[in-house]
Amino acid sequence: MTSIASMTNMRLKFPGVESLLFKDFSISLNKGEKVLILGPSGSGKSTLLQVLTGLIPNTVDVPMKAEELVIPDSWGFLFQDPDSQFCMPYVDEEIAFVLENLQIPREKMEKYIEYYLQQVGLDIDEIHTKIQMLSGGMKQRLAIASVLALEPEVLFLDEPTAMLDPEGTKRVWDTIKDVGEDKTVVIVEHKIEQIVDFIDRVILLGENGEIIADGSKQEVFDQYKQVLIDQGIWYPNVWEDYVEGKRRDIPKIEINEEKSSIHLSHFSGYRGKEKTINVKQADAHPGEWITVLGENGAGKSTLLLALMNLIKTKGTYYVLEQSHKKIKNIADYVTFVFQNPEFQFITNSVYEEVAFSLQLEKWGEEEISKRVNELLRVYHLEDHQQNHPYQLSIGQKRRLSVAASIVKEQSVLLLDEPTFGQDAKNTFAILEQLEQLRAEGTTIIMVTHDLNIVKHFATTVWKINNGELTKESSSSDYTEHQIQPAFS
Amino acid sequence: MQIDFSYNETWLHKINPSLKLIIIVLLFIHLLTIHNINFLINYLIGTLILYVFCTGHPWKRLLIISAPFILIFLTSSTSMIFFGKGEITWVKWGLVHITEESFFRGLHLGFRGIIFATLGVIFALTTRPVFLFYSLMQQLKLKPKYAYSFMAAIRLIPLMLEEAQTLHYALKVRGVQSEKGVRGFYKKLKSYSIPLLSQSIRRAYRIAVAMEAKRFSNTVNRTYFYRLGFSKFDVIFLFYLMIVISSSYFTAISYPYFPIMDVRYN
Amino acid sequence: MGKGLKLTDILVTIIIALIFGMIYKLWGPLYGVVSTFGLQLEQLIYGMWFIAAIVAYLIIRKPGVALLAEVAAAQGEFIFGGEWGVATLIFGIGQGLAAELIFAAFRYKRFDMFVASLAGVASAFASIGIDYYYGYIGDLALWNLLIMFGARMIGAILISGIFAYLIVQALEKTGVTNLVRPASKEDYKALG
Ligand SMILES: Nc1ncnc2c1ncn2[C@@H]1O[C@H](COP(=O)(O)OP(=O)(O)OP(=O)(O)O)[C@@H](O)[C@H]1O
Ligand SMILES: Nc1ncnc2c1ncn2[C@@H]1O[C@H](COP(=O)(O)OP(=O)(O)OP(=O)(O)O)[C@@H](O)[C@H]1O
Ligand SMILES: [Mg+2]
Ligand SMILES: [Mg+2]
Repeated sequence: MTSIASMTNMRLKFPGVESLLFKDFSISLNKGEKVLILGPSGSGKSTLLQVLTGLIPNTVDVPMKAEELVIPDSWGFLFQDPDSQFCMPYVDEEIAFVLENLQIPREKMEKYIEYYLQQVGLDIDEIHTKIQMLSGGMKQRLAIASVLALEPEVLFLDEPTAMLDPEGTKRVWDTIKDVGEDKTVVIVEHKIEQIVDFIDRVILLGENGEIIADGSKQEVFDQYKQVLIDQGIWYPNVWEDYVEGKRRDIPKIEINEEKSSIHLSHFSGYRGKEKTINVKQADAHPGEWITVLGENGAGKSTLLLALMNLIKTKGTYYVLEQSHKKIKNIADYVTFVFQNPEFQFITNSVYEEVAFSLQLEKWGEEEISKRVNELLRVYHLEDHQQNHPYQLSIGQKRRLSVAASIVKEQSVLLLDEPTFGQDAKNTFAILEQLEQLRAEGTTIIMVTHDLNIVKHFATTVWKINNGELTKESSSSDYTEHQIQPAFS
Repeated sequence: MQIDFSYNETWLHKINPSLKLIIIVLLFIHLLTIHNINFLINYLIGTLILYVFCTGHPWKRLLIISAPFILIFLTSSTSMIFFGKGEITWVKWGLVHITEESFFRGLHLGFRGIIFATLGVIFALTTRPVFLFYSLMQQLKLKPKYAYSFMAAIRLIPLMLEEAQTLHYALKVRGVQSEKGVRGFYKKLKSYSIPLLSQSIRRAYRIAVAMEAKRFSNTVNRTYFYRLGFSKFDVIFLFYLMIVISSSYFTAISYPYFPIMDVRYN
Repeated sequence: MGKGLKLTDILVTIIIALIFGMIYKLWGPLYGVVSTFGLQLEQLIYGMWFIAAIVAYLIIRKPGVALLAEVAAAQGEFIFGGEWGVATLIFGIGQGLAAELIFAAFRYKRFDMFVASLAGVASAFASIGIDYYYGYIGDLALWNLLIMFGARMIGAILISGIFAYLIVQALEKTGVTNLVRPASKEDYKALG
């Protein structure tokens, strides 16, 4: 086997952070391997990929050194956020940008562009389409196409499907499996159901950026199961084990049907002039956990924005039996976790971010500090208190946004995909805390693509189709009728 | 944020962008040497014809865009009209001293401002930034590093506007109530501008990294997806301008609106 | 790190410039409204048009950034259909060069409020120089010209000096500036 990328005794440290992220880290990847890098959130997976490609330190100036460092000659990098990797406004121009870099003659470009688009199954009639008009899934596929245009030997993928619905996730992975067949592929991903059959080697990072297991997939998943559980990493059947361990069933009884926390009828929300979400009739009660399901672009986020009074709405909407029009500050009753956590941060440190709402409420310093520290501990953020929110890893950002929103304990909680990009441990930590709030009478309305959450935590499902709330059912009814769950 | 800016492509769109830019800069310099207000008025008519009939944008949009022209006129002219030097007094009222010379000089400045504005807007309305930067790379040897940075940055702008909106939401969600008065205004300004700036810088940085990941910097001899050359439309444009300028000049000499040949004070 | 601007520096400079380019564009009508009295009071807010160069330089701290930022901001204002047309480009080059010269005079080693204000004043001088040809300002009554001159200088110090400095200070707190500034020697030493 020939090694295609390797490093020995690599050390790396972020400026302004006390400790080293990697200390004497060594790794070697072989040609043709399909490698999955697993590890708890914040363990350094994304950073490692950047070192393996030479982006650190060539482009990103982070102090690092290594005794020996071999980076592959030709590689492609698929980033997580589709919107931060395009530099041109149109689909064809974006792929052409790569072709230009490779000095492909102009006459051949059109043919190549069509070829790569076809390869990733991005069927658009007109290749000169604005990237802005594409859905998240389509954008991610375009990103793959432009990576493929590099004709890389090695593909590096950093959670490429975190923002996608189950359908989109499946299609993107199918695409990657298809085109990655004869390449070396290095994947960082938390949710592994879709790719387990594709990979052959698993590298496990520990919380302190060290390798705690490295071997074939059978070896790691069989022999290191306890380690996986201890580190709180996803592995096949983690949900079954979790449910078994908890022996919990869905406590429907606690829903207080008499009181209404949210009542909607003939309610619609607008994006500009367009009616993007419409609800004929829907109710939510204290102690109810509603999951909102639907494809990318169906209108889930719009629904939450409308409930938060952030966009123009029409129709009847009662919050805790008061009309929403009469409520001066809806944030006193309802809180909201944005889909993109970065949008939500308004202070300069992790601690401040969680303390913010409490300071507005004029809590005492000591009480604040007690409450904040407790939350930071639950969400495994205590080591990052003084960091700026933007300096966190993806999963850490997500957790911070949840912590910052629920700190005040409003009666209604709106959450837009609060568990994406999260390791198992933290997913369960978030869910359990929400469950606790729910049991105390909070109403939870949560957008998610994860049917396991529907099955094991939710009480009710709202299904959104093309901007219309089409079905309201109890979650057990919903999961039973779901013939083939996308995640199982 | 989907704003539809559809338009019909006209011959102005087909002019080589670098050439168009250079010509407009030359016109600018030439305009600075015109001191005859009659000449300038004719010139203005010539550019307005281009603006109104040849940009391919709907009338309503053109009308909206040109609304600030009036302001331009006022900004450029008022101080000169009220406080400029001159001999033939029309009005004298406190500090205000309007003279015939200052009046026409002010008027001249106002018209000139409008011509600059019109030319600039014509350029903006008929040039796709992507083509402009491709052309600048090809005709004027602008370094790709700069050109692509510009194109990427322009792509970021709509995203930024969206972010501004979300930030507005975030502040509301977190229960931030706006305060009144100057302090409140300052606070508000800060709570919007700083996160927006910092978020945009981060995003720009990420895009730069993504561009490097696509081998941008290693490239020595780029090929180009768009090839921007010259065409008959460039010639037409030059021709049009020559006709406008020369006929403006001769009619100004033969049939002046005002008996003033030089608005400068001497 | 080698000399010259890296792609990340350029892209970050240009995005900063374009943001201010948009502000420049909005500033035009505002300036227009204030200035219709002819008393030159509008000059107090003229300083906004020098800010891109100074903010970008204070953030990135590298040679060439100030000029690039001011030209890019002007180019942005121009592309967005700014009311002053290509005049902005000419002013942009002049103002950017002036600010750049000040930073160069301090060998790109000082990033404080004083240098920022000085750069603002230099830009103001440059703009007045261009205005001499552009706006016949030599033909204004002397007292009016002096007010214009003074107000523009004060505005330059307040907006493009002090205000710009405060913006960058606030940005530093968000940690974003670490992205574009080279890592310190201590950090490398800490690697052992
Ligand atoms: N610019 C930075 N400055 C300081 N610390 C940083 C910076 N970027 C990342 N970190 C820290 O380095 C650690 C590793 O981050 P990284 O993004 O590599 O984690 P990750 O394993 O990819 O996590 P996730 O699964 O949540 O994406 C985290 O603890 C993070 O807070
Ligand atoms: N800011 C906006 N302005 C106008 N239209 C928008 C805006 N954001 C989203 N839309 C449109 O509204 C529709 C619903 O979008 P929404 O974000 O609610 O979908 P979603 O169900 O949350 O999708 P996802 O799973 O990708 O988050 C889409 O067709 C989208 O194009
Ligand atoms: Mg990561
Ligand atoms: Mg959404």
